[in-house]
Amino acid sequence: MKTKLLPLVLGLVISSQSALTFAQEKITGLQIIENVYSRPTGTDSQGDLTMSLINAQGDQRVREIKQFIKDFGDSEKKIMFFVSPADVRNTSFMNWSYDEEDKDDDQWIYLPALKKTKRISSDSKSDYFMGSDFTYDDLGDRHPSDDTHKLLREETVDDEACYVVESIPKDEEYMYSRTVTWILKDKWIGLKKEFYDEDGELLKTLTVKKYEKISGYWTILHSEMLNVQKNHSTKMELTNLKIDSGISNDTFTERIMKRGL
Amino acid sequence: MKKSYLKLVWSVWALFLFVNSAIAQSLNWTGYVRNYVGMLSSKTNEFNIIQNTLNLNLEHSKDKVAFKVNPYIYQYPSQEMEIGLREAYMDIYFSSMDVRIGKQQIIWGKADGVFITDIVSPKDLSEFLLRDFNEIRMGVTAVKADYYLGNNTFELVWAPAFTSTQMPDQSSIWFPKMDFPVVPVFDYSQNQIDASLENSEIFAKFSALTSAVDFEIMGGAMWDDEPTTHITKTINPETMQLSGLTLTPQHHQLSLAGGSFSATLGGFVLRGEGAFYSGKYFNSDNPTLADATIERNYLHYLIGADYTLWDVKLSSQFIQQTILDHDEYIQNDEFENTMTILASKDFLRETLRLELFSYIGLNHSDALIRPKVVYNLADGFELLLGANIFVGSEGNFGQYDKNDMIYTKIKYSF
Repeated sequence: MKTKLLPLVLGLVISSQSALTFAQEKITGLQIIENVYSRPTGTDSQGDLTMSLINAQGDQRVREIKQFIKDFGDSEKKIMFFVSPADVRNTSFMNWSYDEEDKDDDQWIYLPALKKTKRISSDSKSDYFMGSDFTYDDLGDRHPSDDTHKLLREETVDDEACYVVESIPKDEEYMYSRTVTWILKDKWIGLKKEFYDEDGELLKTLTVKKYEKISGYWTILHSEMLNVQKNHSTKMELTNLKIDSGISNDTFTERIMKRGL
Repeated sequence: MKKSYLKLVWSVWALFLFVNSAIAQSLNWTGYVRNYVGMLSSKTNEFNIIQNTLNLNLEHSKDKVAFKVNPYIYQYPSQEMEIGLREAYMDIYFSSMDVRIGKQQIIWGKADGVFITDIVSPKDLSEFLLRDFNEIRMGVTAVKADYYLGNNTFELVWAPAFTSTQMPDQSSIWFPKMDFPVVPVFDYSQNQIDASLENSEIFAKFSALTSAVDFEIMGGAMWDDEPTTHITKTINPETMQLSGLTLTPQHHQLSLAGGSFSATLGGFVLRGEGAFYSGKYFNSDNPTLADATIERNYLHYLIGADYTLWDVKLSSQFIQQTILDHDEYIQNDEFENTMTILASKDFLRETLRLELFSYIGLNHSDALIRPKVVYNLADGFELLLGANIFVGSEGNFGQYDKNDMIYTKIKYSF
């Protein structure tokens, strides 16, 4: 499965049997990011996502989501059902993303109060997702060709060997001026990522708190995004995860958006 | 409502709650409690609405069946309490088909705040267009069958009993302005449609959701949800002057065909919707007409776009109604043009939202402008401060120029 969803946050990560065909000393920043982007994963996954939004005073708000993802070969489809808070319960969101480089995602949202499925634009990837510290782009898949990548160094983090890669967007108007990612050498998952704002100041830090091998795939289960400028953060936890459970194609339809599961 | 009837309703309700406690663990209870206070900004500063609301959604489902009941209560300090069922239906799920039976809201089309192909559920206009949209929609008793082929849906709706749009009471500040030379008398004897097979309504829709475009094609044979007022004049034979007017609201059968679409184009979502209506009765000033009405076909359509600019979500629609074979006596304009504009922006991690929505009547230079501020004090707990500002002196919105109001809504969802 092409890993469109949460490559650094929730991505289902296969261990590196295909890993590096490159000699370690020759690998480039682009090759590292491409390995992360194109690693094979399961065909489908489902799980419960809990986001805890914590403000500077320590107050916490919780959003619960049930999500389903499936690879269809040249596209990936995802459907999310909002469980809480109560005022968004039964709202659902569906995203179809495509391998084709210039093709935008298709997105729909079902609003139970209006009983209507609305097509929405996927253009606002810099918007924050449900008031969290993750933008849609942070959660989605950013194609390696969108940035210029440079291997800065190798480091050991928590006794794990990592590549440290700097990525600079080719689009100068992009919300981040650069990102720096610590990528586990043997697992091809990002363990830590720093996001710098348009002025080059550190804006956010993403830290992976827990990952496990589930159904043969390395999976990040708990991560945290900290906005260091505003001192608020978002914890993201994935539970009840099932991989390759055989989700029906019919799950990714307007019928199920309206009906729920 | 008599007190005894109220007691009965409450008793049944209490019994219902008690019985359901046995299956409470599997019954899904959601809903909201809301306080709504509105004050006219005219010189009287009169509270035109003080309302407390309980809205419940009771749902239960098994593998192939489900039900939902949506009772609501509107309580007023100086009016009769309103109790009703917005929806009460059962679902049966088959592998490629769903069937829903009972009172249900059925929403069609791609338009926002405008009703073109969205004609299955009648509207509650007792507060004009000011209620939340899920409260404006009235449930209609129907059998609805949806057959699915991937993301294509064939939908068939049969409504055995006609449900009329709820119009404002004559004493309401939202009762449409009427200018007559003499005080009219209303005759509601023709306002009811008996429930019979011949009088039932049928609607069909094909909809598709694709990567390139979403679209719907629909048709219906129905009754006009909003009655046409037939006017009978009484002439004094001695003076040959008008001595009386009798207004007889009457529903007529309509047939219509239409469709809608939405598609993304860059950062824009483009939307369109249109329908051809046959059999509509319009009021006419033609003196040769016995009851001041004439039948004409008309077209109703819109084009709209949604886009985001500097983190402000913007949406606008242009709507036109065109009466075919129009003549100078028909009271409605041949072309009636309306616009809607929506702008909203979130702040404070989506806990604060500023929003402005407006209907603009282009024929009469009138408008309804609805700014509001919504703050989520806690998850599911919402404070809203808003205003309804009517601009102009005539037209759909200008006629309510004296009804400018500010209001608050405090809502707790559970």
